[in-house]
Formats: sequence, C-alpha cells, structure tokens
Amino acid sequence: MKYENLPWLILFLPLISAAVITLFTLRSKTVSSLISIGAVVAGFVMTVIFVNANGMQFSGETSLQWLEIGDLKADFGLKLDALSMMMLFVVTGVGGLIHIYSYGYMHEDRSMARFFACLSLFTFSMLGIVLANNFLMMFISWELVGVSSYLLIGFWFEKPSAGDAAKKAFIVNRLGDFGFLFGILMVWGLLGSLNFSALQNSITANPAALGAMATTAGLLIFCGAMGKSAQFPLHVWLPDAMEGPTPVSALIHAATMVAAGVYMLCRSLFLFNADSLHVISYIGGFTALIAALMAVQQNDIKRIIAYSTLSQLGYMVMTVGLNGPTPAMFHLTTHAFFKALLFLAAGSVIIGMHHEQDIWQMGNLRKKMPITFLTFTIGTLALCGVPPFSGFYSKDAILAQAWEQKSYLLFGVAVFIAALTTFYTFRLFFVVFFGKEKSDHAKHAHESSLVMTLPLVILAVFSFAGGFIGITNNYGSQFVHEHETFSAWQQFAEPFHNPFPMVCGLVAFAIGFFAALSLYKNATSDPLPKKLGGLATLMKNKFYFDEIYEATFIRAHDFLAAVADWIDRWILEGAIIGAIRGGTDLSGRALRLAQTGNLQTYAFLFVLGVALLLYFVLGK
Amino acid sequence: MHIGIQHYLAVSMILFCLGLLGVIMRRNLLVIYMSLELMLNAANLALVAFSRFNNKLDGQVLVFFIITVAAAEVAVGLALIVALYRKRQSAHVEDLTSMKL
Amino acid sequence: MSILTYIAGWPLLAALVLIVVPRNFRVIIRAIAVLATLISAVLAVKMFCNYGSALPDADGYRFVQQIPWVESLGISYHVGVDGLNVGLILMGAIVAFAAALCSFEIQTREKEFYILLLVMTGGILGAFASLDLFFFYFLHELALVPTFIMIGVWGRGEKKNYATFQITLYLSIGALIALIGLIALYIQCGANTFDIPKIIEHAKTNPLAVNAQNFIFPLLLFGFGILVSLWPFHSWAPLGYGVAPSPTSMLHAGVLKKFGLYGLIRIALPLMPQAAQSWAHVIAWLCVGNILYVGWVAMRQKDLNLLIGNSSVAHMGFIFLGIASLNLIGITGAVLIMVAHGFLAALTFALSGYIYKQTGTLEISALGGLCRKLPFIGTALVMAAMAGCGLPGFANFVGEATVFFGAWKAFPTITVIALWGALVIGGIYMTRAIRNVLHGPLPEKWNSLSDASHLWRKLPYALLLASLFVFGVWPRLLTEKINPDAVKIVAQISPAPSADKLVAQSENSGVRN
Repeated sequence: MKYENLPWLILFLPLISAAVITLFTLRSKTVSSLISIGAVVAGFVMTVIFVNANGMQFSGETSLQWLEIGDLKADFGLKLDALSMMMLFVVTGVGGLIHIYSYGYMHEDRSMARFFACLSLFTFSMLGIVLANNFLMMFISWELVGVSSYLLIGFWFEKPSAGDAAKKAFIVNRLGDFGFLFGILMVWGLLGSLNFSALQNSITANPAALGAMATTAGLLIFCGAMGKSAQFPLHVWLPDAMEGPTPVSALIHAATMVAAGVYMLCRSLFLFNADSLHVISYIGGFTALIAALMAVQQNDIKRIIAYSTLSQLGYMVMTVGLNGPTPAMFHLTTHAFFKALLFLAAGSVIIGMHHEQDIWQMGNLRKKMPITFLTFTIGTLALCGVPPFSGFYSKDAILAQAWEQKSYLLFGVAVFIAALTTFYTFRLFFVVFFGKEKSDHAKHAHESSLVMTLPLVILAVFSFAGGFIGITNNYGSQFVHEHETFSAWQQFAEPFHNPFPMVCGLVAFAIGFFAALSLYKNATSDPLPKKLGGLATLMKNKFYFDEIYEATFIRAHDFLAAVADWIDRWILEGAIIGAIRGGTDLSGRALRLAQTGNLQTYAFLFVLGVALLLYFVLGK
Repeated sequence: MHIGIQHYLAVSMILFCLGLLGVIMRRNLLVIYMSLELMLNAANLALVAFSRFNNKLDGQVLVFFIITVAAAEVAVGLALIVALYRKRQSAHVEDLTSMKL
Repeated sequence: MSILTYIAGWPLLAALVLIVVPRNFRVIIRAIAVLATLISAVLAVKMFCNYGSALPDADGYRFVQQIPWVESLGISYHVGVDGLNVGLILMGAIVAFAAALCSFEIQTREKEFYILLLVMTGGILGAFASLDLFFFYFLHELALVPTFIMIGVWGRGEKKNYATFQITLYLSIGALIALIGLIALYIQCGANTFDIPKIIEHAKTNPLAVNAQNFIFPLLLFGFGILVSLWPFHSWAPLGYGVAPSPTSMLHAGVLKKFGLYGLIRIALPLMPQAAQSWAHVIAWLCVGNILYVGWVAMRQKDLNLLIGNSSVAHMGFIFLGIASLNLIGITGAVLIMVAHGFLAALTFALSGYIYKQTGTLEISALGGLCRKLPFIGTALVMAAMAGCGLPGFANFVGEATVFFGAWKAFPTITVIALWGALVIGGIYMTRAIRNVLHGPLPEKWNSLSDASHLWRKLPYALLLASLFVFGVWPRLLTEKINPDAVKIVAQISPAPSADKLVAQSENSGVRN
C-alpha cells in the first residue's frame, strides 16, 4: 500500500480545522470558512491521489492501539477497501461542494465561523464512520456525527423550533444508539472481538457462532441504522431536522450522515442472518412507503425533499435487506449526488425568495433563476428515475434486486413508491417553477451568486452521469467474489438485462408524471385535500407519529420521572429522613423533662444511680 | 470491747450519709458545701482506718492528698459562692435554675 | 521526601500561613491560595508524567515515603501511588486549582473560606496518597469537616440549613459506619498494623474468615456507599450540591466523593474477596437505583444545580456497576470514570456557579437563550452536558464504555438497563437542560450578562475541559497505569480458595474471637 499515512491525514484534517477555528479564528468569518473548505477539498485531493496510487480494488488496514484492557481491545484503526474508498469520495467530494456552497449561503450570518467549525467536526466524524475498522471506533464516530448534527440543527438556537428539533434529533438518535451499543456488546460477548475483519473471519469459519442470538444481535445492530438512517419507527426526527441551515440539510440529512446507517449495514453484512435481513427489508419498504405518502401533502420545500430522502433511505435499507449491498450502495452514491443537488438548489430558491419556504408562495421561478431551475430539473429527473440519469440506473438495480429475490410484495411496493416519488417531486417542481407568481417575494426573486451555483452545476453533472461511471464496478468488487468489470457502454445498457423491472419503473414514472402534470401544472392551491379527504389530512399530519410518541414514549418517561421524583421527595426525604428527624426530636423533648435545673435533683439522681450500681455490682 | 475496723467504718458511713443527706436536702449553698466537706472527711476516716488495720501507709498518703485538695477546693468553692451571692443576692439552690432547658 | 508529601503538604502549609495574614489583604490571600494549589497541581502533573520512570517498591507502589509514628499500634505516615490512585491525585490537584480560581465568587469572610478550601484540598490529596489506614481515614475526615462549614456559612438559597444538616448527618454517619468497618478489619485481620500493603500481604497468607468478611464488607460497602451517595442513601447529594458554594461542590462532588469508591477498591475488594462476590449482586442492583431512578429524578428537576447534582449521583451508579462486575475491564472502567467524573463534576458546578453569579438564579424556567450572551460559558456547558451523557471524545465515554464491556460479562440485564440510563435518559435530561437554559430566545432581563472575558476567568473551565479531552482521546495514559494494579486486585478476587479451606479458616478465626 502506497502513501499509507494519507488516509490518516484525510481523517484528521477536518478535526484540526475544527479545533483551529474554535480556538483561534472564531472572530474571522473568511479565515474560518477557508480553513474548513481547505480541509475537505484537500481531503478530496488526497483521496484521489491515494486511489490513483493503489487502485480501487485492494484491502488494507492500518491501526494505532487505542485501548487495551484484558480481552477488550479497541484499536483506532482504518479499514481501506473499495467500500470505504467510494464513501471517501462521496463524503469529501459532495461534502467539499457543499462546504463551498455554504460560503455563499451563510455569508450573512454572524456565526459563520461557528458554522464551519461544526461542519468540520461533522466531516471528521463522518470520515471516522467510513474508515472505522472496528465497532467501537464506528460507535464513537456514530455518536460524534450525532452530536454534530445536533449542533448544526440547533445552529439558529434562538429559534425555539430549532432548539426543539435539535433535541428531538439527538434523543431519537440516542434510542437507536442504545440498540446499537447493546448489539455491539452482544456480538463482542459472543465472538470476543470488535474488529470487522476478525468478526467476519470467525463468522465465515463458523456460521453458527452467534448461535440462538444471531437474529437478536443483527436486529440490535440494525437499531443503530434505524436511528441514523431514520427508519420507521425512529424516522420522526429527520423532517424536523430541516430547521438547520440548508447546506446542513444537504450534507448531513441527505447525502452523508443519514446514509451512514446503510453504509454500516453493508459494512457488517456478514453478521446478519436470513431472518434479520427479512425484517430489515420489510422495515425499509414500509419506511419508504409511508415517507412517500407523507411527502405528497407537505408544503415546505425542504420538508418535501426531506420526506423524499426518508423514502429513498427506505429503498436502500430494503435493498440491503434483500441481500443486495451493491445496488444499495449504488443508490446511496447517486442519491448523494442528486439529493444534495436538490437541497442546494432548494437553498438557492430559499435565498432567492428571502427565506420563504412555503411552495405555495412561489411560482414561475424558472425565468428568474435559470441556473437553479436547470440544475433542479436535472436533480428531479434523476430522483424520478428517468433514463439516462443516474437515479434511473440505481433505482432499476433496486427493482431488479427485489424481482430477482422473488420478493414480489416488496417489488410491488417499490414500484408504487417510484410512482409516488415522481408525483410529489413534480408537484414541487411545477408549483415552484411554473404557473404564476403567488407572492411578492416570488416576483422579486433573484439568481444566487456563482459560489452557490457552481457546486450546483458540478453536482448536476454527476447526477446525470452517475449511472455509468463505474460506481457499480467498485462496489461489486467489494461484495461479489467473481464480479465482472463493465465498460461504460455495458453499464449504460445494464438495465436491459432484466427488462421487466425497468419497464415497471418507467410506467410508474409515466403515471406519476402525468398525475402531477394534470393536477399542478397551473394550480394556485392544492387540489388534493378535497379529492382524498381524510387520507390527505392523515398524510399532512405525518400519520400522527409525533403525537403517538408524545403520548407513549415521552409521557411514559415523564410519568416514571414524576413517580421517582415523588418517591425521592416524599418517601426518601419526607418519610424516612422525616421519621428519623422527628424521632430524634421527640426523644429529645421527652428527655428534656428530666432536666429540672435543680442542683439537688441531680445530686439525688446521681446518688440513686451510684446506689443502684453498687447494688448490682456488689449486692449479688 | 475490742474496737475493730467495723466500728470505724460504721462511723465513717454515718458521717457520709449525714453529709449526703445534707447535700440533697439543705437549700443553702453554704450548708451544702459544708456537707460535702463532711462526706470527704468520712472518706478520709475510712482510708485512715483501712491504713491502720492493713499496716500500710498508702491510705494515709492519700488522705494527705485529699486534705490538700479539699483546702484548695474550699478556697475556690467559697469564692464562687461569694461571687454568686453578690450577683444573685441569694445562696439558695432553688433560685439557681438557669440551666433548666 | 516523596513528591506526594509536597503535593498534599503545600495546601496545608498555605492554610497555616493564611491564618496569620490579616483579613484585609484580600489579594494576597487569594494569591497564596491559588499559588499553593497551582504548585500542587504542577507537582501532580510532574508526578503523573514521571510515573512510568519511577521505580516501584516491593509492593508495587511508587514515590513511597514511610515515617513510623505510633509503633505499638503499627501506625506510620506512609504515602505512595500505584495505578489506582495516580489518576485520582492528578485529578484532585487540578480540580483544587480550578476550585481556587473559581473562588472569586466568594465575597464574604474570604480568609476563612480559603483556609477551609486549602485544608480540604490537602486533606483529600493526602487521603488518596495514604497507604496507612489511620491517615487514610483521618485525612479524609480532615477534608470532610470543612465541607459542612463551607456549606453552612457560604451556602445559598432558602434550604441552606436543612441541606447542611442533612449532608452533615449523612456523611458523618457514613464515615462512622466505615470507621467501624475499618476497626473491625484491623482487629480481624490480625496483622497488628495499619499499613495497607502489609495488611494485604498478610491477608494473602491468612485470609479473613468468611463470616468475618460477611460482617465487615457490608459495613464498608454501606459506610463508603453513603459517602458516595449509593442509592437509596443519595438524597443528601443533590441537595447539598444545590446549596453549596461552587468551589465546595467542585471539590466535594469531584474529588472527595471518590474517596468511598477508592476505599472499596483499595481495601474492601482485595481483603474480602468472598464477601465481595456474594455482595456483587446487591451492589449491581443498587446501581440500577442510581442510574435509572436518579436519572428519572433528574429529569424532573427545575433547578439547574439539582439537575447536575442528580446526574452526578447517577454517574456514581456506573462506577459501582464497574466495581460490582469484579473483573479487570469493569474495575479499570470504574477507576477511569472516577477520574473522568471528577473533572466533569467540577466543570459543571463551576459553570453553574458562574451562571448563578451572573443571574442570581438557577431556576431553569427563569433562564433561557444564555448562549447568545455567554458564548464561552454556554459552549463549555454544552460540552459538559454532552460529556455527561457520554459523548465520545470526553473521558467519561471511555470509562462508561469500558464499564459496560466489563459488566456485560457479569450482569447482562443490568448492563442493558445502565445503557438505557446512560444513552437515553442521560440524553433526555441533558438536552432538555441545554434547550431550556442555553437555547431559545434570550429574556430581556438577561441582556446585561457578561461572559468570562479574560484568561484567568476562562482558565479553570478550559483546564478542566482540556483534561477531559486528553483522557478521552488518549485513555491509554490512564489505562496502562491502572491495568497492572487492577490485575492484582482481580487476581485476589477471582481464584477463590476452595470451600473446605474456608471452613477451616473460619474455625480458626472463631478461636481468635
């Protein structure tokens, strides 16, 4: 392995940047943002150098001893293989573009330096997840991305809703982490190691090593992914997380962090048995379905895209569950391109609209914001799976995987979701960019500066071409033993190998597109609630999941807290301490009566005592 | 009649009980104080008697100590009583109950 | 002279010097106190750095000094460090320095306050360094008594007197029970010495009888347990810390409280292995009370200091869990948390003290949005809260994770409950506190607040945070020192002598009784 130290540098540059900004340059916006951008871009360049020198298809580990106590060994180690290299590209590449974009987006904000410090911290933690070679290291980075996401969602902490959203995201993620760490402990207890390669070896040597706990352990590990990748029932935090600045939504809540769950599942795929994969695939499919339904009735531009993210994450998790890590990672990568693009374009719209986010206040923006419009269109087409955009290839791979695994129910659900995706995306598209201007802001909208549009253009290029630039080849080399390397043309024609899923996908697109076209082409308000009635209300209110959690989980904890507090206050402090105190007080009052203050009483009692003593000592 | 140690001890005991009764019953501090001295001397008498009948001098040595200490004690005690009388215009124990809770 | 004598001695000497300084010379009084604790802290850092190169004596202790004192009873002044207390002494000295710096908030009777603070510092550092049971206990009491006076005189709030009474009674009773246990131990082990290494050495060949162990171990467990706020004897802690002046809370919650845990590990475990094994379940279930129950109580608190106090009690649960697991990983983890929590508790109480000094209240509902006016303090408080709910990067995470791994082998169910307490409940109350105190709109009345502006004001917080970071990022600094000595303790616990040998021993001791 050449340039062995380069991955360490890639990992630690953002951390150094975060530390330098926090300690020294908080006062200067420009210096701070340049340091932070520099760290990520340098990371990208170094990734390119490293991959150029070593090629994609290799596998290596490099580690430092971090903790060793008895049989608990946790190294600070990096795992370098095709999977982590591709993710390095995504995180530093997409991340770098979003960093650059943020420079334009956050320019007006007085806390820009703090923003970039948090962003750098996030990049470090995310790279930590990607490069970790053992479960403990991954858990550490897992928690750190959680906290950077917390800090960035709550970036505008003076807004109560942002503070609440940050808190919610943190606690829901913690619920997932609880299961994750539980699972890690269980795996460690059974197999005695935390290192991925060592675990994989012991599972390969003895597939029954996990014994009866295999399904439980797998599902507990999956809990971590459930929290981070916002799978049902822990999906509730992601839409609220849109309270953060838009670049944060693009970086953390679309392209990278929420994909960490999927990445982790692929990384530890060897741990999951058929039963647990089965459960995972159904949870993924269900999440994708409900999220797509909820997206149909949202009015906030960022929330629509957020629900779309949820739905696409459901797709990926479902595909992992269907034993298809390659299509899942493929979709993860293309999704990172086009969803980051959609979010950044939405951010550009929001800036152009002077921080108005309601789509029913927009309209006809295609004239005012041509570059944003064009790139947004490419993102939309990629998300909806129009050939030859990248989303078409990855979505087709997913559909084909479901079809080949003979999981017809999930295949049907996936096709239905594809139609829904097209419907809600084009709803957004038509309402925002076509029709009439629906408010004054829309009339005075303006195009964003070059520093913001340039990343859009670059992302648009990748969203277009992502399907045939060799992404599947690289992932395939990780997961399939004897994989073939396809040329660009072979990749281009890959969907025709299995035409039925492809045709289903295209038909779904057509249905969704025409439905959206007929309903929203020139709409000034949403016609759907009238037609769907109660169902629309249900979708709009996110199937009342927040309310259900409020009524169960939060109430239960508050109730238990109230009980514990009551016991503490009234029984431990009140009754027990009160009884001891009262008893002491009472006996003191009783004994006080014996104190007459008369010298001779004391003398008499003294003599009486002596006499009694003498009697007992001598008299017997 | 042979006078044995019992006779001495009986006298000592009578003296001691008289003193004790005085301490408990009398109200005047000065009289209580004199009764205390009576008790001390009862103890002295017993010590001397034991010393004589056991043919050892330890008891008599102790008596000298007691006499000396008693003299010192009288000086301090009387001074206290006089001071108390000056402050309270009374030397009766019923009037001295400020230690009562 | 051992460096340990200097570390504990300088603060005590400074306390003596302060007695003769007139009370008007406030700057000089402060300077002497800060300087004495600074010297202690620097020496402690030096001792910590030189630990590896210092030669251990026959019993494995370093920097040893022994001066016979009462030879007929076997009492001697004997100090030394091994892996178990080296981190605690370093932590104690740094926290004491930070506490001395934070004492600027004391405005009345400064001279007496600083004298008590220095006595407390010297006492507790000496107690941790002592290898003689007599000085071990005596120096702890020397540090404990000033706590009561400081809370009683300089405390705040309406419940001051009630809290002072409660903390005094609880801790005196706890110390008394522990004293009975220690005396019983001295008599039972028959080594006729107060020297801890000698007693342990003696116990290797003549272990204590099992019924004697079963009598003494609970005395030490509950005596030390009360000192550490083991559930259900915890109610003094949040209350006491709630009203105490922040330097006192820092020193007590951070350093002095660890004495009981240290005593359990240092004395109770190696000398009474069988009893430890039979009581381990009890300890483990009591931890659930600390972690889960007190966590819920913390969720309900309306006062920031009560919340921090309860969370500090909850953290004690993890340490007890590590001790109860009775294996190498668990005990190492317990010592790690002891050090980490010392820094953390000191940091949080120092920060809440700053906020109280500025706003005059710690009522959570009255605060809000403070991050805007107090960026430094606010950021530090966010970090402290995150460290408190076990964020990696801070030393607490390393300790808690290690304890979980250790306890998983002994008590899987309880470990899961503890996980829930650490990750979920801790997360809930800490983020709620941040949301209500630091986030949200800033009420108008707090517009005049000012942040910690110059270096001296920032130093204590920065120092404590830096310590948390150093041990969180580089835990081997501690684990490599702890490990060999934890191995020794575990070796004394686990290969339990066979049953008939134990019966014979218990008969022997029956004769001795």
